[in-house]
Amino acid sequence: METKLALTWSDLWYVTPELVLTGFAVFLTLLDLVLPRRVSQIAIGWLTFVGLLVSGVFVVLLMNELPGTDDGVVQLLAGSYRIDDFGNLLKLVFLGSAAFIVFSSLGAVKDEDVPIKGEMYSLVLPATLGAMVMSSSGDLITLFVGLELLSITSYILVAVRKKNRLSSEAAFKYFVTGGTASAFILYGMSFLYGITGSTNIELIREGFGYAMENAEALLYISFFLMIAGFAVKLALAPFHAWSPDVYQGAPTPVTAFLAVVAKGAAFAMLYRIFVNSAYLVPPGETFLQQDVFLGLSVLAGAAMIVGTAGALRQRNVKRLLALSGVANAGILLIPLALGFDGLHTSMFSEFVYYLIAYAFMNIGAFSVLMIVTRDSGNETVSGFAGLYHRAPWTAAAMTVLLCSLAGLPVTGGFFGKLFILFGTIQTKTYWLAAILLVTTVVSYAVYFTIIRQMYMRSGSADSGLKLTAPAAITIWICAAATLALGFLPVPILDWIDSVFSIRLDFLIQ
Amino acid sequence: MSTFFTEYAWLIPLFPFAAFIILTGMGKSLGKAGAWIATVASFVSLVLAVCLATERMSGNAPEYSKQFEWISIGKLKLMAGFEVTNLSTLMLVVVTLVAFLVNLYSQGYMKKDERISTFYAYVALFTSSMLGLVLADNLLTFYIFWELVGVCSFLLVGFWYRKPEAKAAAKKAFIVTRIGDLGLLIAILLLFWYMPGNALDFTAIHNVFDTQGGVISTGITTLIALLIFLGAVGKSGQFPLHVWLPDAMEGPTPISALIHAATMVAAGVFLVARTFDIFEASQVAMNTVAIIGAFTAIFAATIGLAQNDIKRILAFSTVSQLGYMMLALGVGSVGGAMFHLFTHAFFKALLFLGAGSVIHSVHTQDIREMGGLGGKMKITAWTFGIGALALSGIPPLSGFWSKDAILTVALEEQPILFVVGLVAAFFTALYMARLFFLVFAGKPREGQAAKESSAVMTIPLIVLAVLAVVSGFVETPFNGWLGGWLLGGEAEHHVSGLVMIVSAAVGLLGIYIGWLMYAKGTIRRDAVSSRVPGLVKVLERKYYIDELYQAAFVKPLQGLGKLLELFDEYVIDGLVRLSGHAVGAVGRLNTRLQSGQVQAYALTAVIGIVILMLAIAGRRFW
Repeated sequence: METKLALTWSDLWYVTPELVLTGFAVFLTLLDLVLPRRVSQIAIGWLTFVGLLVSGVFVVLLMNELPGTDDGVVQLLAGSYRIDDFGNLLKLVFLGSAAFIVFSSLGAVKDEDVPIKGEMYSLVLPATLGAMVMSSSGDLITLFVGLELLSITSYILVAVRKKNRLSSEAAFKYFVTGGTASAFILYGMSFLYGITGSTNIELIREGFGYAMENAEALLYISFFLMIAGFAVKLALAPFHAWSPDVYQGAPTPVTAFLAVVAKGAAFAMLYRIFVNSAYLVPPGETFLQQDVFLGLSVLAGAAMIVGTAGALRQRNVKRLLALSGVANAGILLIPLALGFDGLHTSMFSEFVYYLIAYAFMNIGAFSVLMIVTRDSGNETVSGFAGLYHRAPWTAAAMTVLLCSLAGLPVTGGFFGKLFILFGTIQTKTYWLAAILLVTTVVSYAVYFTIIRQMYMRSGSADSGLKLTAPAAITIWICAAATLALGFLPVPILDWIDSVFSIRLDFLIQ
Repeated sequence: MSTFFTEYAWLIPLFPFAAFIILTGMGKSLGKAGAWIATVASFVSLVLAVCLATERMSGNAPEYSKQFEWISIGKLKLMAGFEVTNLSTLMLVVVTLVAFLVNLYSQGYMKKDERISTFYAYVALFTSSMLGLVLADNLLTFYIFWELVGVCSFLLVGFWYRKPEAKAAAKKAFIVTRIGDLGLLIAILLLFWYMPGNALDFTAIHNVFDTQGGVISTGITTLIALLIFLGAVGKSGQFPLHVWLPDAMEGPTPISALIHAATMVAAGVFLVARTFDIFEASQVAMNTVAIIGAFTAIFAATIGLAQNDIKRILAFSTVSQLGYMMLALGVGSVGGAMFHLFTHAFFKALLFLGAGSVIHSVHTQDIREMGGLGGKMKITAWTFGIGALALSGIPPLSGFWSKDAILTVALEEQPILFVVGLVAAFFTALYMARLFFLVFAGKPREGQAAKESSAVMTIPLIVLAVLAVVSGFVETPFNGWLGGWLLGGEAEHHVSGLVMIVSAAVGLLGIYIGWLMYAKGTIRRDAVSSRVPGLVKVLERKYYIDELYQAAFVKPLQGLGKLLELFDEYVIDGLVRLSGHAVGAVGRLNTRLQSGQVQAYALTAVIGIVILMLAIAGRRFW
């Protein structure tokens, strides 16, 4: 395949989804200035939603077109931007999640809480764009640009509750730790560039053998610096301390965005760099690869333990979900950390399946939390007291979502964990399997605190719960999708397997 | 010849089952109507069973069975189905008839109980299970229903669960019969293992053991037979597992009549009769059955002499009469056993319902506190008297003919067992006389406002009394109709004028002595107890069997349980608590880390990565 150096007009078609988001972002920012405040608050939210959907439609169109092109991959700008199935699948997850989050928050965010709702919505677009770039790049520089686009917009998003002290504090903390993480990652990348002489992932891989023989220590430093940086971004223990603070301070839709899209994007970037450079290189004389993946496994295990144990004592539901996110990040890391060899070929399917399940259950749970908090002004577990008596259907949907988070059958969360567990068994990583099982059992106690509150406590308010229509729809779609993932796991897994091919999508040739 | 009712025999258990479903589903809201639904359902079953019996009597009806594949795992196939034979037809009639009468009777007896619909639901489930047990065509299905009737018995004995005695009795009934059930289960597994083609249906068992001798070795056959018998011993209250049956009298009296006199306890006899070919193939097993049966007959009869609770006397009488049936089986007379089962079902149900009527009226079960009730409760007294005479074996009532049939065969086969049976018959007559005279004769008690029970309760008594009189005529030494019908072909006649005269004489003697002691007073009541007080004490305490079991099994097992409980509490729970504390500690550590200081967060991150890197890379240099 010939690599094109310059972008031609015809190539623009392949980046339509990104261009749509860019266009909408610019347009909405301007529109926000022109429109009167009252109108813009509502209109911009809806337009953001539309923009995300339009972009998603183009991704689907591109996915259908890909098999017709050379090798099913389109490379732009000397391989620094790639349109492949890996990227497209994740883009769909990101766009879908962002769309659901925006949709569910329509009409549910109070004016006094977020006075600049127009900005909040229009900033979701560049953030999502950053996530898309992270999943679709083949060059360290582009990847980092995507990361920074996502990060910086996220810092602002966390701060949109302008008058809230917690929000400002959270934004500051997120900015400092996020900046530190970016520095770690960039520092690690610079070593990689220094040793192999390229920022292009394909060229890095080619130079890898030579690097392993001559600069092994520097490679160790490079990889562990990147691991540290990503561990912060993914909120893996012990790099997770920022996440409960930030999740609590941010408005709930933004929290959901951080939990699902920002985390997923960091995973995408991790896959891009690690699979290409470290996995498929023939192991030389050194233990580098083994050690890198062991490091990831240890982080995964630590995240599961710390996240679950921390959530056990947590009364604030947002912080509880943040810690649950820490544990889930550990679980999501397992497929990558197990490595890719003859025994374990389904790494990517396991990851994406659980990511999709994770996205649905988190968006659903955060939507319920948003409604409950809005109603009672209470973010703690006791805010859920007697929910069953006030809104039985919402309580039922929340029960499904919580069961999925806990990993009970028959839900998406159950099968997601099960497939990942199979992976650990296949590769004989029994200690990780044991941690996964034990933390899952302990996590029942975490999620059942909320279920108990909903069914077995009488709430303070007698009146029904005020549901906004979009939130209700989102909650129900999420609960239904969670069940669908539980009842039809194999067809969905087969579909992911059929779309994705490790050789074409990861190996940059 | 029509086989319509035969083919649809499977409908018979379905009506009570439907009643059970309806009552369970909407019991509370039905109120009184629930009881009638159950009664009507049992009546429909009765009508069907009678139609079936009429159909099968009209000609030389073949055995009919229908099976379907129930579970199929690989090569293993388990079948389920039903089978209609003349033996099962007889049982169907007995069960549905008694069940219907008990349903009717309970309308009066249980009227004031607020859980009456629950009661009827249990009774309906029991009836349905019992009918299923009778119809089962293989041992596995049989076993399932066998356990189901056990569960119903447990539920109904403990029906008044607020009474501690009732709770204890229910538990005892369940646990003791389980010992027997375990034997039956092992027997079924052994049969499954040894039978050609893993067949468990009664037809195959018949073929293997009756016609193709030698397929299964004698040792295994004996083992299987004895294990099956263990099941029967548990269910039918035979020595040494008889201890649960008298205690089961804590349940409502209609239940005692239905389950613990007429039907479920007879299931053990029915089981042995159904698998009789296995027993016939082993002389050891036959002898065991005969000896246990005879021993139980006399053993329980002697205990019956010294009890003071009206229902317990009847319970020991039941144990004793079931012993007779086992004795009959042991000496090879299936016909005799089933005949006695048939007559006993009627007169013993009659006696229990009569006793219920008395208890309902005077609110006590102690016969020493009763007396002179005959004047006030004429119907109860007359019907009870008929039942007592039938049980005592006075001609021409039904009990005489069936007891006579058993004793005749016993005399032919094992004269010593004949003597034991005769002595037991004497005791039977004596304790029934004591019971009858103490309760109904003599002077009425002061302040006991007894009055006759209502019609729903007396009508069943009258029906059963008529049956207690006439049901014996289906099989007399001059007319062997029942035996021929049950067993096919012309059954051999066992006629012995001597036996008839002796057994009638013994019965009359028992009653006469009873009359002298308890009605006329010629012999002082304490004539025996004043001379050998120890003997009476032993009988009152039921030979100290309960105390023996308590000391030999219950206490040691409870000790073991305590020990295991300590292990559970300190070792297992300790481990659980330890892991709980460990998780909690990690959580606290995490909380401490969560100081809110962003500098601390960054520092943790840096320290974390340094440790991780040193640990992972460093282990290479160790």
